[in-house]
Amino acid sequence: MSIVSNLRADPKRELWFAWYSTVAFYSLYSVVFFGLTRTQPPGKPWLEPEQTVEWFAGRQDGLLVGFALIFVLGGWSATAIALIAYSIRRMSVSRAFAYSYLVLYLIAAVPGFLFICVAMTVGAMRPERSPEAQQWLYDLGFLSFSGTMGVFLVGSLIWMTAILLDKNRVFPRWFGYLNLCNALTEVVIAPSWIFQRGVLAWDGVIAWWIDVAVFGTYTGVFIYLLREVIVRDDFGRGPLPDAPPGRPRRWHPLAKVVR
Amino acid sequence: MAELDGEVARPGSGERVILWSLPAVVVIWMAAFLLFPGFVPPMSPRASATEVADFYDENLSRVRYSMILFNWFCVAFIPILMLIAERMRGMAHRTPVLRYCVIGVAGAAPIVFLTSTVFWLIAAFRPDRSPELTLLYNDLAWITFTCGVPFLVGLCAFLALAIAYDAQERPVFPRWVAWFNVVIAVALVPAGFAGLTPSGPFAWDGLVSFWVRNSAIGLWIVVMAVALRQAMDREPGPDRGSSGDPARTEIGAEA
Amino acid sequence: MATATDTTDTSPDERVPGETGMWFFVLFESLIFTSYFCVYLYFRTQDEGAFLEAQSALRLPLGIVDTIVLLTSSWAIARSVQEARAGRPAAARRLAFVTIGLGAAFSALKLVEWAHLIGDGHTFTSSDFMQHYFFLTGMHAVHLLIGLVALGILVHQLADPHRRSQETIETCATYWHTVDLYWVLIFAVLYIVR
Repeated sequence: MSIVSNLRADPKRELWFAWYSTVAFYSLYSVVFFGLTRTQPPGKPWLEPEQTVEWFAGRQDGLLVGFALIFVLGGWSATAIALIAYSIRRMSVSRAFAYSYLVLYLIAAVPGFLFICVAMTVGAMRPERSPEAQQWLYDLGFLSFSGTMGVFLVGSLIWMTAILLDKNRVFPRWFGYLNLCNALTEVVIAPSWIFQRGVLAWDGVIAWWIDVAVFGTYTGVFIYLLREVIVRDDFGRGPLPDAPPGRPRRWHPLAKVVR
Repeated sequence: MAELDGEVARPGSGERVILWSLPAVVVIWMAAFLLFPGFVPPMSPRASATEVADFYDENLSRVRYSMILFNWFCVAFIPILMLIAERMRGMAHRTPVLRYCVIGVAGAAPIVFLTSTVFWLIAAFRPDRSPELTLLYNDLAWITFTCGVPFLVGLCAFLALAIAYDAQERPVFPRWVAWFNVVIAVALVPAGFAGLTPSGPFAWDGLVSFWVRNSAIGLWIVVMAVALRQAMDREPGPDRGSSGDPARTEIGAEA
Repeated sequence: MATATDTTDTSPDERVPGETGMWFFVLFESLIFTSYFCVYLYFRTQDEGAFLEAQSALRLPLGIVDTIVLLTSSWAIARSVQEARAGRPAAARRLAFVTIGLGAAFSALKLVEWAHLIGDGHTFTSSDFMQHYFFLTGMHAVHLLIGLVALGILVHQLADPHRRSQETIETCATYWHTVDLYWVLIFAVLYIVR
């Protein structure tokens, strides 16, 4: 199933477009944040104002170019949300779940990338700005990005509830519970508003490293599962059929346990 | 498999009211745009803190009132954008995914304008504060306003794709609307890079990032309003019942 | 896959009680919790003196009472599951309510303990040990609240024969046992290990 053939003739081309876009956008996002701007892993919260000036200066080009790319392409993130909202629509639960998810995550774009793009761009564009102002922008960027996890918390709970109540078997039930794990990690990030040092600061072992490991796993899993949903989808209303026979069955860690 | 559950909204049911609100919204937006002394001509990123502070000092009232107006009405475009999303129900799509994409970006787009007005208003709030701080808020406002194009680019791109995928005898929007959206998306892209340079055509006061960007947005509003009106005219009226176009399936058409 | 509308108590997968999905959750969540403990133990070795000093503010007797309360609640829910399986839903419900009551009692005890600690000047931010303590007990409290919701679902299931599903009941009970397990670990690592 090549990408091009999917996007031209396939009756599921809208879904494949959304799925490939999801993969592409998350890849771009990771490259920009981890590679280009080097804002992940995040800078240290306890930096003095002068040190934040150095931090901005050392990353100036990366910050400006990287976040410009997100400024242009950030809207592409809507494809992931749309696809997930569709998967929730495909369930037997009320449409309210799908709409809730859609609205929550469109709001999530604001702390999810808009604020950090603005704060870091403004911080990098005038290196001669006063150190206190630079530190303020540094805080604004990182705290708005890491600390505002309430949206994702509630969103995960909505998806979890929808999955657990669903009779159309769109997602396996263990993924519903994985949403609970993800929701709990969003709780863990909250103390980053309180601590400048230690494991619960925005760069801490618990609040960042373990959190990102869980979130990364969760994201990888749902991207894989969304693909399965698209393959199985029959555009109907009832339970989703199993994957068509003859497809090479990829290794699945719970293939024997979860029927 | 395809139950005919189609609840395509009929143009008679209040949609014309929303459509006719558009000229009023446009007038208010243009008034706010022209009233704001920092737009015509656009403020320079190269201005020093003192120059920026002086600007706010001299133009306090105009900044405040124009931005308050802008703030009130930047969300006024949402009903129009939702009208476009409603038209998408009539497209020959198998799923509502593209419509959800449009709703996603349409909902987020006004937040950009809203945030930038907040920063401008804060900049104008205390004329006696340090010029450094006023410069900071001014920078935040301009970067948010100019570079904050992701949702608009997304909107144009998703609309263009949705139209391209609308393969039926009488598509909801004609092909040229798709190409138009592609052109507008391309016109908006450079503005995202405005933070990279304080001078030249790509700076936030430059030809490309300011004039081309804002004209593109204005043009999009006008052209899409016309296209929207035509699409609504093409749809069956309330007395003729639902359109029953066989190319449409129900999941794409209903919520 | 059996859903909540099944009224029989045969789960298709006899290998584990309750849904296998819940066991997946237990595994993954326990992994995360274990990592939190490892982090705590690592940072403890970096600064044993300070940790020991702050740790002395914890009252062992209170911790023991907490543990007994939760272990009893686990026993109660296990009996409840047995009663449900044996076809005695009324008895099962009573035991489930006992579990909920004990869970609520544990929460009350926790709040009292936190209030005492804060009153004595040991807050979330007062020392590294207290940061870990409030974080771990706080996360446990969140898990416990979710557990109370799960128990509520279990009681709801038992109330009506048409709704009843042994699998769902066992799933909720499994979750509750996990809450108990996490507390025992916290008790061992934070209260006892000195």
